[in-house]
Amino acid sequence: MSKLQKSAWVNLIAVTICAIIGCVAFSLLYLLNAKGIDHIFVFLIVGSLTGLCIYVFYRKKSPEAGFDEREKMIYKRAFGLAACTLTVFLSCVCIIPFFVLSGQSVIKVYYLPLILFSTLFVAQFVHSTAILIQCSLEEEDG
Amino acid sequence: MGSDKLTNKLRRLRFENDQMTQQELADKAGVTRQTIIAIEAGKYAPSLPLAFKIARTFNVSIEDVFQYENEQS
Repeated sequence: MSKLQKSAWVNLIAVTICAIIGCVAFSLLYLLNAKGIDHIFVFLIVGSLTGLCIYVFYRKKSPEAGFDEREKMIYKRAFGLAACTLTVFLSCVCIIPFFVLSGQSVIKVYYLPLILFSTLFVAQFVHSTAILIQCSLEEEDG
Repeated sequence: MGSDKLTNKLRRLRFENDQMTQQELADKAGVTRQTIIAIEAGKYAPSLPLAFKIARTFNVSIEDVFQYENEQS
């Protein structure tokens, strides 16, 4: 398994675990204590800062450093796909409620970070999955 | 409308050079073994610098390793 595949697997597993924990935490806060959800931004800020610190500590180099030309191409194609997915997903998440709920409705503010994190999760998920699929398609004869 | 086809003799050249492994060739060319596998299978067309590196590893010209065919239809 190449460095690119390893990093894609690590990314995919980390993102999936974070998404599961996030969904469970959000659901529990929502179901058990409706007041607590107003303070969810504190958890989001602490979680984001912790994630950022881990990212900065472990990723001193560019994510592409150490990849050969084929891996860089795969990485860039996956990045393009993830960027497209992010745009489409964010557009859908913002536009669909507008038409479903009508223009006069309001949504609670805590849905905004949820939308942001969901979009980032989907983009990261697509990026890692696209890398793994491309690698396996090119290596299936090996 | 024509279709481009890039074939190679990497596998044969490796065996003619003391049965060089894919990993050994990858180390000499400065790429991963997966890239050599993809090139051998014809699933990835290498850049010119990489094609030259591979050809020089076997001490042959680039056209002895890679063959380009353009089929006009």
